[in-house]
Amino acid sequence: MKIAILLKQVPVKDATLELSGDNTWIDEDDVQFEINDSDHYGLAEALNIAKANDGEVTVVTMGPDRVKDSIKQALAKGAHKAIHIDDEEMSSTDPLTRAKVIAEAIKDENFDLILSGLQSDDFGYGQTGVLIAEILGMPHATLVVETEILEGKIKVKRELEGGWFQNAELPLPALLSIQSGLTDIPYATIKGIMMAKKKPVAEVDADDLGVDLDTGAFKLQKIYTPVKSKETVVLDGDADSIVSQLIDKLKNEAKVL
Amino acid sequence: MASEYVSLQNIKFLLHDVHRVEDLMQYPLYADYDGDSIDMIIDTLKELADEYLFPYLEECDRFEVQYENGKVKVHPQILKVMQMMGENGWIGAPYPVEVGGMQLPHMVAILNEYIFAAANNNLNGYPSLTMGAAGLIISFGNEELIETYLEKMLTGKWQGTMALTEPQAGSSLSDITTIAVPTYAGHYQIKGTKTFISAGDYEGIENVVHLTLAKIEGAPAGAKGISLFVVPKSRVGADGKLQPNGVATAGIFHKLGQRGYVTTQLALGDDDNCHGYLVGEPHHGLAYMFQMMNASRISVGSHGAGIASAAYHASLEFARERTQGRRWNDRDLTLPQTEIVNHPDIRRMLFMQKAIAEGGLSLVLQCTRYEDLHAVSDGEEKEKYYLLLELLTPLVKTFPADAGIQSVSHGLQVLGGSGFCEDYPLEQYYRDIRIMSIYEGTTGMQSLDLLGRKVQLNKGLAFKLFLGEMQQTMAEAADMPELQKYAGQLKSEVEKLVGVTKHLGKIAATGDIELFLADATPYQQMFSLVAIAWQWLKQGITANKVLQAQEKQGDDLKFYQSKLHTLKFFYVYELPKTEALAAAITSGENLTVLKDDDLLI
Ligand SMILES: Cc1cc2nc3c(=O)[nH]c(=O)nc-3n(C[C@H](O)[C@H](O)[C@H](O)COP(=O)(O)OP(=O)(O)OC[C@H]3O[C@@H](n4cnc5c(N)ncnc54)[C@H](O)[C@@H]3O)c2cc1C
Repeated sequence: MKIAILLKQVPVKDATLELSGDNTWIDEDDVQFEINDSDHYGLAEALNIAKANDGEVTVVTMGPDRVKDSIKQALAKGAHKAIHIDDEEMSSTDPLTRAKVIAEAIKDENFDLILSGLQSDDFGYGQTGVLIAEILGMPHATLVVETEILEGKIKVKRELEGGWFQNAELPLPALLSIQSGLTDIPYATIKGIMMAKKKPVAEVDADDLGVDLDTGAFKLQKIYTPVKSKETVVLDGDADSIVSQLIDKLKNEAKVL
Repeated sequence: MASEYVSLQNIKFLLHDVHRVEDLMQYPLYADYDGDSIDMIIDTLKELADEYLFPYLEECDRFEVQYENGKVKVHPQILKVMQMMGENGWIGAPYPVEVGGMQLPHMVAILNEYIFAAANNNLNGYPSLTMGAAGLIISFGNEELIETYLEKMLTGKWQGTMALTEPQAGSSLSDITTIAVPTYAGHYQIKGTKTFISAGDYEGIENVVHLTLAKIEGAPAGAKGISLFVVPKSRVGADGKLQPNGVATAGIFHKLGQRGYVTTQLALGDDDNCHGYLVGEPHHGLAYMFQMMNASRISVGSHGAGIASAAYHASLEFARERTQGRRWNDRDLTLPQTEIVNHPDIRRMLFMQKAIAEGGLSLVLQCTRYEDLHAVSDGEEKEKYYLLLELLTPLVKTFPADAGIQSVSHGLQVLGGSGFCEDYPLEQYYRDIRIMSIYEGTTGMQSLDLLGRKVQLNKGLAFKLFLGEMQQTMAEAADMPELQKYAGQLKSEVEKLVGVTKHLGKIAATGDIELFLADATPYQQMFSLVAIAWQWLKQGITANKVLQAQEKQGDDLKFYQSKLHTLKFFYVYELPKTEALAAAITSGENLTVLKDDDLLI
């Protein structure tokens, strides 16, 4: 069984982020990166399914050279091989374009199952996986909390809102985004770390895939830190005067009376 | 709860830049490793500690180990840690590939101890003891012992312990009375009482394997009559099933610290049915056990440095947030209060914490580097590293423990009243670190070992080699204008140490051994200050090279500047304490030796 896990690299959680000069991204110079938190759960599920079904897990990661560290970590945690889609320029932040690039890079691999995490910690669109499924013509399910491989299909349990769950069966090949917390996340072992060096990592250049990287359909205009919009006002005076000030504000400013 | 307990940047600086772990990779034993894989190992250890240990620090202390009807209940996380450490191969990591290990350099393996102890010193001892006990079976056990015990221990299913201490024999192990009677079946019948045995028993673990010191009936008196046995809680019967082996847990100890790390009293063979299996040759037990004890001594040093590091991070975090008073040159009372980290007295305590924690870790890595070089070299080289390691072992055990206690005490002081309260981790660190000066040989016994044995080892060759190592560092520092002054200061400190050593040598020559050894502890303290000053000079050399290259910016730049600053702090505030110690040792007053009248009234 051939399983792919879409794994993204994002800035570390406690990084102090500075905006880049053109205000469209962060200044990456002093920032460290790590595997996107929810992708750990996708990887864990991929490894579990592979273990139970004699499968092979391929890590698929798009990004500049620095993402190789995250690829190596995933290999040390047990993935079998990797595809690095080299995108040195970080040419597009548009989830559709990125989905097209990834779909193009992996379409000939004929994966039986493609897994992703829930969403990325940087942009948080949560769309890339679903879009890839559409492009590759696969069924997909999001927020998956349980999986069971059956003959030629997969049974999944999805977590809905308000404590509801949904059970569904999807024919394979299929794409799932895995809900965080589904299973224990995997850790590297010394043996895994030593073996990771020898595992194959295929390099694909994003520019060579024939996908238009600059469609202009999606434009990131500006990133900015939240502007302070709330202000606390302390009402002074004796009790009577405070009460009348408060009534005035509730009537005329908050307009709730 | 503080958010951090170690600095990965500091660990990697010491490991790669100061102590050059990459040097080891030219040897076939370690050739599979490279800098990248070692960094991944360190990062993984930190991730594991973040997940499995650190979140349970307070719980392990508050939900103290319980003893009821002969059964010991511990925090459930212990079983999870044992399982994780076993299944992921960490317990066997430093051992040869042939026995299921990973031949991990000791320099890296000790960082497992350090990071885990910093994260939660109530949990790390369980796998750590198992690793040490398994090591004895690997080195000295026969095939049957290896076959029966090794895999179970390395996979964390069976706990290992070291069972040495008895009620009447703590520091003086030659006085143990546990007896081993040979049987025709080949095993020995063991009978005796072992006390203070760490991880000696707990519910949920399949078996506990005690590496036990005992005397074979009729053995010579003293250390020469001690043998080493495997005494399991449950022995493997003829049917392959586990059956009770006459090891009863008579009780547990309620302690100042490490309340989640069980300390047991064991009754062996009360039912005359306790089988022991001899490890190696009869009467060589203490020598074998020294393999585990020497490794454990370095581990204890790393644990002391680890807790000191955790306390430093917690104190620093608090000092950056707590505001109180104003800077003495800012007397405008309408200004907001300043963060206490801005007060010189607080900064003095924090720098002292940092100097001890990071200086201690550096010495730990220096010693494990010698251990690794010893493993890969031959002939004279091998002997050299052996002697250096032997000499430094009592120091690496003692300095991070004793000075670590002081540094955690300073850390607690930084928090003021909050330091004394359970809302912050400092009071627990203060209690947890206290044991480091007691187990694995008290500070007193380590000091006696240093002065009475190690300094004279091989007619003083170990000491001479150590002076040579320091000489190299001083020569390199003397060529750097920024460090010249400190190289000079260390040189005169070394001369002072040599002078005091000669003074003591003269007393030894008179044959008055009690007088000679009377001030072993102040001597060890002086020696330790010099050894740590050497380690700070080494760190200073590396940091200075980086600073001279002018390639670092921001927080990175500050890291190296802080290293140089802390070096200066150690040389100005700590190192001169040798003067008082030397004065006491050479005073000729002999105030501590018992005379005819005991004046301790
Ligand atoms: C929490 C804890 C865990 C432990 N874990 C283990 C374990 O897993 N396995 C194990 O075998 N043991 C263990 N021990 C025992 C520990 O190693 C001993 O407590 C220690 O070696 C000291 O022995 P003692 O307590 O009998 O003190 P003593 O030996 O009675 O020493 C008391 C004091 O006298 C000093 N002293 C003793 N003899 C001399 C001398 N000749 N000259 C000068 N001073 C001297 C000592 O330095 C000390 O200050 C543990 C102890 C504790 C408290």
